[in-house]
Amino acid sequence: MLEILINAVTLGSLYLLFALGMSVAWGTIGILNFAHGSTFMFSAMVAYFVVQTVTLPMWAMVLLGAAVGTVLSVLTQALVFNLILRRNPDLLKAEMQIVVGGIGTASVLLAIAQHYTKSVPFGFSASTFKVATYQLGPVHISNVQLVILVAALGLAGLAAWWLKSARAGLALRAIGVNPEVASLMGVDRSRMALGTMAAAGALAGIAGVLLTYYLGSIAAETGDSFLISAFAAIILGGIGSVAGVVTGSMILALAETLVVTQLSGTWASAVAFGLIFVVLLFLPRGIFGRKEVRRT
Amino acid sequence: MTTTETAPPVLEAEDVAVHYGGIKAVDGFGLRLPAGRIYGILGPNGSGKSTFLAAVTRLVPLTRGRLLIDGEEYHTAPPTKLARRGLARTFQTVRLLPELTVLQNVQLGADLHAPGGRLRSWLGRDRPSEAVEEAIERTGLGDVRDAWPTELSYGMARRVEIARALASRPRLLLLDEPTAGMNHSERQEVSELMRKLRDEGLAQLIVEHDVQMMVDTCDHLVAMNSGTLVAEGSPQEVVSHPAVQEAYLGKRWRSHA
Amino acid sequence: MIGWYEANLVLIEATFLNFLLALSIQVPLRLGVFSFAGVGSYGLGAYTAAILTLRYDVPAFVAIGAAVLLAAVVGYLFSLLVARLNGLYLAMATIAFVLIIAVLATNGGELTGGANGLYGALSDLTTGGVVAVCVVVAVLLALTERGPLRRRIEAVREDPELSLSMGIGVVPMRQMAFAVSGALGACAGAMNALLRTTVSPEEINFHLIVLALTMVIIGGSRSWIGAFIGSVIFTWLPSMLASAGRWQDVVYGVIIILAAIFMPTGLLGLVQTLYQKLRGRRSAAVTAEAPADDTAEERALLQALGGESRGGVQ
Repeated sequence: MLEILINAVTLGSLYLLFALGMSVAWGTIGILNFAHGSTFMFSAMVAYFVVQTVTLPMWAMVLLGAAVGTVLSVLTQALVFNLILRRNPDLLKAEMQIVVGGIGTASVLLAIAQHYTKSVPFGFSASTFKVATYQLGPVHISNVQLVILVAALGLAGLAAWWLKSARAGLALRAIGVNPEVASLMGVDRSRMALGTMAAAGALAGIAGVLLTYYLGSIAAETGDSFLISAFAAIILGGIGSVAGVVTGSMILALAETLVVTQLSGTWASAVAFGLIFVVLLFLPRGIFGRKEVRRT
Repeated sequence: MTTTETAPPVLEAEDVAVHYGGIKAVDGFGLRLPAGRIYGILGPNGSGKSTFLAAVTRLVPLTRGRLLIDGEEYHTAPPTKLARRGLARTFQTVRLLPELTVLQNVQLGADLHAPGGRLRSWLGRDRPSEAVEEAIERTGLGDVRDAWPTELSYGMARRVEIARALASRPRLLLLDEPTAGMNHSERQEVSELMRKLRDEGLAQLIVEHDVQMMVDTCDHLVAMNSGTLVAEGSPQEVVSHPAVQEAYLGKRWRSHA
Repeated sequence: MIGWYEANLVLIEATFLNFLLALSIQVPLRLGVFSFAGVGSYGLGAYTAAILTLRYDVPAFVAIGAAVLLAAVVGYLFSLLVARLNGLYLAMATIAFVLIIAVLATNGGELTGGANGLYGALSDLTTGGVVAVCVVVAVLLALTERGPLRRRIEAVREDPELSLSMGIGVVPMRQMAFAVSGALGACAGAMNALLRTTVSPEEINFHLIVLALTMVIIGGSRSWIGAFIGSVIFTWLPSMLASAGRWQDVVYGVIIILAAIFMPTGLLGLVQTLYQKLRGRRSAAVTAEAPADDTAEERALLQALGGESRGGVQ
């Protein structure tokens, strides 16, 4: 039973890493990046190709993943989303364009990945990292799981602190509450947007690499299914809230793990969809959602 | 004379309050507007004028009070019902539909009373009705009827909104800062149009920033501040009321006087 | 000519079915409703038609009619459920709806054939029947793109508050949009199931949503013509891109990105804008957005800050 709990928390931590950047970006600069899943997968793929030629330890792989993720997200923001917003400054009306732009970017990344991996799953066996299991009291926990847990909770804590106390963090939150007033007060929206997306991309890259280590291998298509799960976690916890995405990720992971172990695997994906639906109907702002959200 | 006195006012607001999020935008305000009269609401920014208008047109819920049209209570009715009872309004910001021409925007106002019901309006020929043509003519928009909203000057766009409101042949017209952004001669024209409409029996309620225009146009003024009534009476009475002068007219009024 | 027709019959039929699928998203979009529920109705319709044909051996038009009716009702009920949602939230909820239907189909046991789906749904549906239905639908929609109804739809999309104050019932129109969207999606799904004689839960996935959305975005979201343009392009594009070899999917994605940036109103909007420019419509404005004084802006700012003004304008 405890093993199941640990697995669930690990899964939740992975969801957390993946969804954290997305939630903050959505809640502050109003960008919902549909290419986030492909970014996450692509980062892991690049790390895979690198490690085929240069043997690297895990920490280097994680950094590499973060770097690739950052670059991809920044490029997406600069080349796609910024262009859309420049031609259509009304964020509400540009929403759909941004979604489509994200989907297009995701398709491009997916196509490239499928081409290079020939749609075969890839893993990091070439890395120096070796899985080891420890015994902590009554439970077994692997080193991968530990890394994931520490990384996720650590980075989430850092994000929460930053948003609350750092000047730039407060500026970002100001954008989330009212962009017009924020820019009147001197906040450089486009620079903050790039920075936010860079951080979100880095987190996605880290999540991608760690997931690959955890599962042993992932495929080009893994990104998209994570995307939907991320939506569920974000919406459940409340858009833009770090506490929210932590809570949402854990609850989602727990629910999915329970369903898979107690019911059957085919219902697992329904958990995310069902959660999205139920939350939007009965608690649209999510658990930790702000009172006023940009659109109803 | 007796008939007009026993008929209920076209619009009546009684002890209206609108509170939200800790703000008391309107707190105990009321008026009674009879047919064939122009009433004006005067007040500084934040006095609650626009919120009051929003409450009267049922776009914002009442915290307290009653609203009556022709003596019939409507403060729980949906806004669509008001339109059918002959209430038309313009807004503070220009709200023309960008993908429709001036003529089509005005027609939208008249669509409410399309003859023959839904099916006919779906299948029948779409010729502008008499009310639409009249509205366009009276607001002087004949030359620009096929223009797009982006091609209009601000003042003209405002006139289209007035035409759109008139196209529904209302019994009660609410105007929210209709002459903002207009030049002097345009303002005169609007004032003249309003007085003509009043003589034809239309009841009008106007919220305006231009005090001079209100004095020239309205039969009766109501001064509002912080959501409550400050003074009421003829334009001259209200404008020379000490509390009113002190609170909002200040430098601006003296420069006009 | 006949040779080409027969060789490409599947694609020709697919064009018309994709047309209906695209319409299921385009129609609510005209009202400002960002809903993918039509794709879920596609699945509902496909399974309903297949089940009725397999078990009760009904003629095609009965199966399709029943599917359409069922989906219209479900669409209407769904609209009641999501009445308070807008924009991206609504889009999310509808994506979840579509995927839930796929899961239900997978776990539907004997009724839905489980993960394998249903097969052998033979019927008397002809290509001519499909085309006829599409023509009727196009005519009906064209009628909604003129006159008072068109104006009302524009108003509901651009400015719901204004619409209410002009007596236009925004909520009933939105509910109607969901019902119509359901009917269109189900029609597409039902006809597809009967033409291909199979249906499986794998068909109902995120990619189908993406296909429907991109058809509308690239073709043009304002009119049924846009949906048709989009369906033609996306049905035939893969075969046209085959010459690009292995990179065709990348090209596909790049096209979508470019359309999102440069063509918000789709190809149809592009053509319409060009047409109007040729006819001499003067573009933008002598419009001064702000009034002579700054009060409107100050007011907006004050409202944004949630405060009250303390007095007159200085």
